[in-house]
Amino acid sequence: MKFIIKNILLYSLTISVLFSCQKLDVSSPNDVPAKEVFKNADGLRSAVIGMYATMQVRDYYGAYYPLMADLNSDALTQGGYDVVALNEIGQHAITSTNIFAEHMYVAMYKTITTANSILQAVEFIKDVNLPEDERKTIKAQALAIRAMAHFDLLRMYGYHWDQSSPFGISLILKVQQAKDIVARSTVADSYTAIIKDLTDANGLMPVTFTDAKFANAIFIKALLARVFLYKRDMVKAADFASQVIDNGTYNLLDVDAFTKIYSGRLSSESIFELSFDAQNKSFYNGTTYVRPEALRTEVFFLASQSLNNFFTLRMDDKRSSLVDFVNNDAGISPDGRTLKFRGEVNKDNPAYIMRIAEMFLIIAEAKAKSGGGLSYLNQLRTHRGMQNLSSSDVPDEISFLQAVMDERLSELNFEGHRYFDLARHQQIQTVVGVSNQKAVFPIPQRELIATNQQVKQNPGF
Amino acid sequence: MVTKVFHFFAIIIIIISIPFNSFSQTQILKGVVKDVQGNLLQGASVSIQGKNNGIPTSADGSFSLQLPAANSKIEITIVGYKHKVIELKGESTITITMQEVTSQLEDVVVVGYGTQKKSNLTGAVASIGNKDFKNQPLSNLANSIQGKLSGINVTSPSGTPGAGLLVSIRGAQNPLYVVDGIPMLSESNSALSTSFNTSGEEVGQGQNLSSISDINPDDIESIEILKDPSSAAIYGARASNGVVLVTTKKGKSGKTQMDFNTYTGYQQVAKKIKFMNAAQFVGMAEEARANDLKLYKADNNVFGPGFDASVLTSPLEYKAGATNTVWLDQIFRTAPINNYVLNLKGGNDKTRFYMSASYFDQQGIVIENYFKRMNARINVEHSVNDKFTIGTNLAMTKSNNRRSFNDDTYSGIVTNAIGASPLMPVYDSKGNYSKFEDYQVSWLSDNPVKSAHEIRGFTESYRFMGSVFGEYKISSNLKFKTSFSADYSAVTDKLFISPITTDGGPIGGRATKANFSSIVWLNENILNYQKSVGKNSFGALAGFTQQGTTSDRIATAGQGFPLGSSLTDVSVAAVITRIPVLPGGNNRLHSYLARLTYDYDGKYLLSAVMRSDGSSRFQQGKQFGYFPSVSAGWNLHKENFMAGAKVLTALKIRASYGFTGDQEIGDYQNKPLWQPSVYNGQSGLSPKLIVDPNLTWQKNKGFNAGIDYELLGGIISGSADYFVNTRTDLLNYVPVAGTTGFATLLTNGGSVEDKGWEFNITSRNISTSNFKWTTNFNITYQKNTLLQTPVNNQLLSAFNDLSPTHILQVGQPIGSFWGIKYLGVNKQTGDPIYQDNNKDGLINTNDAQLLGHARPDYFGGITNSFKYKNLELMVATQFSMGNKVYNLIRPVWENLGYSNGGGVTQIYANNSTNSLKRWQKPGDVTDVPRYSFINKNYIENSSMFLEDASFFRIRTVNLSYTFTKKIIKFVNNVNIYAQVQNLYVFTKYKGFDPEVSSNGGNLDKTAGVDYAAYPQSRTITFGLNLSF
Repeated sequence: MKFIIKNILLYSLTISVLFSCQKLDVSSPNDVPAKEVFKNADGLRSAVIGMYATMQVRDYYGAYYPLMADLNSDALTQGGYDVVALNEIGQHAITSTNIFAEHMYVAMYKTITTANSILQAVEFIKDVNLPEDERKTIKAQALAIRAMAHFDLLRMYGYHWDQSSPFGISLILKVQQAKDIVARSTVADSYTAIIKDLTDANGLMPVTFTDAKFANAIFIKALLARVFLYKRDMVKAADFASQVIDNGTYNLLDVDAFTKIYSGRLSSESIFELSFDAQNKSFYNGTTYVRPEALRTEVFFLASQSLNNFFTLRMDDKRSSLVDFVNNDAGISPDGRTLKFRGEVNKDNPAYIMRIAEMFLIIAEAKAKSGGGLSYLNQLRTHRGMQNLSSSDVPDEISFLQAVMDERLSELNFEGHRYFDLARHQQIQTVVGVSNQKAVFPIPQRELIATNQQVKQNPGF
Repeated sequence: MVTKVFHFFAIIIIIISIPFNSFSQTQILKGVVKDVQGNLLQGASVSIQGKNNGIPTSADGSFSLQLPAANSKIEITIVGYKHKVIELKGESTITITMQEVTSQLEDVVVVGYGTQKKSNLTGAVASIGNKDFKNQPLSNLANSIQGKLSGINVTSPSGTPGAGLLVSIRGAQNPLYVVDGIPMLSESNSALSTSFNTSGEEVGQGQNLSSISDINPDDIESIEILKDPSSAAIYGARASNGVVLVTTKKGKSGKTQMDFNTYTGYQQVAKKIKFMNAAQFVGMAEEARANDLKLYKADNNVFGPGFDASVLTSPLEYKAGATNTVWLDQIFRTAPINNYVLNLKGGNDKTRFYMSASYFDQQGIVIENYFKRMNARINVEHSVNDKFTIGTNLAMTKSNNRRSFNDDTYSGIVTNAIGASPLMPVYDSKGNYSKFEDYQVSWLSDNPVKSAHEIRGFTESYRFMGSVFGEYKISSNLKFKTSFSADYSAVTDKLFISPITTDGGPIGGRATKANFSSIVWLNENILNYQKSVGKNSFGALAGFTQQGTTSDRIATAGQGFPLGSSLTDVSVAAVITRIPVLPGGNNRLHSYLARLTYDYDGKYLLSAVMRSDGSSRFQQGKQFGYFPSVSAGWNLHKENFMAGAKVLTALKIRASYGFTGDQEIGDYQNKPLWQPSVYNGQSGLSPKLIVDPNLTWQKNKGFNAGIDYELLGGIISGSADYFVNTRTDLLNYVPVAGTTGFATLLTNGGSVEDKGWEFNITSRNISTSNFKWTTNFNITYQKNTLLQTPVNNQLLSAFNDLSPTHILQVGQPIGSFWGIKYLGVNKQTGDPIYQDNNKDGLINTNDAQLLGHARPDYFGGITNSFKYKNLELMVATQFSMGNKVYNLIRPVWENLGYSNGGGVTQIYANNSTNSLKRWQKPGDVTDVPRYSFINKNYIENSSMFLEDASFFRIRTVNLSYTFTKKIIKFVNNVNIYAQVQNLYVFTKYKGFDPEVSSNGGNLDKTAGVDYAAYPQSRTITFGLNLSF
């Protein structure tokens, strides 16, 4: 007996000693340490997929970035359960503590962070299974996505229409440590950095890479066209847009088929379409349609009464069939719902990041009436069932620009363009009815606090 | 290395101190134990002096004891009586008379890794015994200390059966629970969030279930709370928020005793908010429109250019029939509650056991909701011989919770019933759930009764807690104890949202199934040395402990279920949908601990503790934290100058200073990690978090000074304490520049101070043989101040889709409210007036300012017990003053006829009758603005909805009768009682209950928010206790 007891005690002590030699080091079963991600080509490829996934979050191209921007314009109005932050945007009275502005800001920089991690590693990975062409493709995608996110930030939070303004954005060109703070660059410097990334990407990207689910060769050119248009470098804008159209990979659908852009997936009009599926849903349907009997409170983003008025005057515009002002709960009227994002079961509506129709609109605007812009405008109108505009319909440049703006509203509503278009042309005051200082979202209060005011607020907030 | 030396040393000692003593021949002593009045005393412990294993006296006061020698010394102890030692002179029968004591100084309390006499305590320890909480219809042990102990503020954030409680010890929340030495997982392990927005995303923490509810309160012998860092320091690692020590019942040698306890009763919602009836509701809508029309007629541009006034004149579609639904009556019910406990205890001088089994069934006051629990426990101790004792404590629990979708969710049952239209019937003429879309009010997301029946969520949990230990007396002064314990938990969540609900409709219904399992294992090795030389007593304790936790989670979700079928399992879903990766995890903790105590003649007391913990949650080099503490006490009444004092019969002064630590940050926060992400059907990786390479322990230093006193030999007794606790290097998520790609970083930074006073008084007002009246009173004044923070003026939101509701500001308490200040109603126009804080002529969130705080300024409780012969009445009350609540759901049910912006065919929601006090005509003085259909005459995040939530609660009233005569054969003792729990609350708070925190209450930075939490109930029970 004594012997047994002695043994038990000795055993328990021995076990204790053995246990205590175990290291205080544990590893997560569900994650990968950062330093192991970029060990080889497969890790690099995984990070590229991850980069696209960061764009799918609700606060970026999962729904909010395009829809919140549109909501701040005249095209949309808010529903929802009296959500203060949403009301602020819908009433064009957004404040710096707005929770959506805060989340979108961080979401875009998350994409930039991921792109930066790829860019930092892509040159140094030694792996025989990484063909040089693929390395270039990956690098070009990361550059293009970084440029796109920077540009999206500039459109939303910066004075993108004013080349002389100090209110650009914080340009993040390398992976940040927790305490790093980057002040805002000027608008001119912001454009320079964005255009440099896109130009580099354009040089690297093999022309054969045209998959519309990814930032492909044609998307890079299309984005250059968009950036130059915003920058008012009209020659380059028209040039890149023409390259995209002339390339022929992507083209306009016919008038009786164009709604397939929305009901189908990856139509020939989509240059870059961020894909979702039933396992990985987007938030477009759940915030714009919800269900047939939905009440006003259930729908976040409604088509505004003024969009209804707009389409009422365009009887032959087939795009009016994509907005429904009739079959709604009485509480929704006089507003309506978009039908671009149907599919209540799968909720796999993609983000239409770049469509060919925009290229026609860019050339039209860039060339202006005097440069022959009208024919590009008419090409798009034809494909949407509308009569050609004659030169006398748009007697001067002002009326022509108005025609382009209308066409953009008709084509691109609920896709995140209207607010930026109004801001570009300094029409916020005239169209939306609030000060032109509201042509930009405020830098989130959270950011000002976290950077100890090194990031400066936009005027008027 | 330290450990190895330590273990080697221990082994040597053990080997030297063997072999053992052996027994000599024996003799039997029989006797009875009585009090002064001659009443026979049951449950007195009779033992040979110096031996632990006393035997209890039976109901007739008798005992029979084996003596090692004819002239042994025997020791008799019983709670409430003076401890007695009798030197035998060969007697074989004896009658022992016990003197009653009023002093509590000799009571023994449990402290970390040991016990201590109350008179020897040098730290701040609060203690509560079984008699203070037995018979109460409570699922959570923390309920039993509500209002009873100073410095401890227990609040019930939700009335959900099985819900978690918010336990704050001197201002620090979420203490460490240690059950019979096993640190217990106390957080909610359910993966079912009950907090969704309309797109089905989680928007808050939701309902918090507490796994502390897995313990059967009836099994608990005592609860001790280690309040100051010096008492808690022995648990260094996780003790920064205080420690709750739970000791379960143990067996005693002697005749086997069986107890059967049961109660049955019912619960009802304690308070119903009164809502408008159909006529008042229609009247409000019409008055709102008439008010606006008057304004429009005076100025056509008042609602903006192009306003279509027909929305004010064209008739609203009310569909008013004879319906006048009172929705709260439709979702609440009178719900039964039942509890059955059977326990057995007994043993002999070698083996002692306690066994219990219980069944608890609480139906929720919201329809369909219930919580059922089955417990079993076995505690066994066996003395192998004089030196070696082994034992085990095993407890098993199964619980099943039919969840109630409530507590800060948009589609919740209570949330929907609040503000639902009285014009809407529950069922339509065909007997189907009526469609909420067809009736006035746009607030609803579904018919509340439909939600209750058709959203089916279950949380089923199995819990096993067990430990085995061996204790070896190496010499008369030195003991070694080793123990292994495990806390295993398995939780299954099932959720089915039927295709006929709003959420499930478009997708054909959806279901989720989630499994969670975790095991916490712990090995402790403790060497304990005690030595007395003359008047000097020394104690030393040293130990090594190691702990590991592993948890695993898995969840699947699916959508598309056959209509009209009863199939609800995720495996039959048409499409399996992806849900976010749930974290499993593991972590380890290695700890070394030591304690030295010294006392001189019970007068001068000294104690020093050192603990060092190494945690896997920090980077190498930052893993170990060192937590020392010292304390001292002086029993003045043992000094000559106080000898013979008649009034102040006992007085002790004590002071302590010490450190504890905190590592409660979740696993894997110390490494930059990438997480799985999906695009285009392929799996990839994206950055998960940004890390601080210097992340390390949070430290808590605390000072405590106090006195314990007794007047008139204990007729009045009590204590007073002053404390200052400073938590530094707070483990906190602080905002980082969004340009990093992340919003927050977990880092050490900032400090918070809690300081205050605590007072405790127990007074035996009347104490005669027939009538006794005792009063307990405690009160705590507490102030919490944020001293320092890495990012000052950080704005926080209780729900991630709301404007900021809270602020972290230096100089203010944690949990300070942020919002616009409401000044009242304009007498002439009836419009609300707000403070334009930044003077820009606009009222918006930029005008927000500090509005108050969620923490009370002071709180406490009064308990009165009256005993007349065998009849006892106990009334326990609780109060809390100065705490505020942001009633964020009230804007819904006091929207004053608002139509929610453009949706001008409906009122937003029904109103409580409080809205009837609205402004109606110029000159009216009221704080409720006029009704308006178009204007929103309220602002959610404003002081309009910040309410004083001070309260005085009559928590428990219990009337019981004990039969002294044997009224049933075989039954020694019969006790019956009737009890009301939560009888009444005196408060100005307009919601269901002022003790609310819809976000589960665990987040102290965004505390005190009401978003239609599950209301509290009033419970009436009748109970019976039988002893065999």
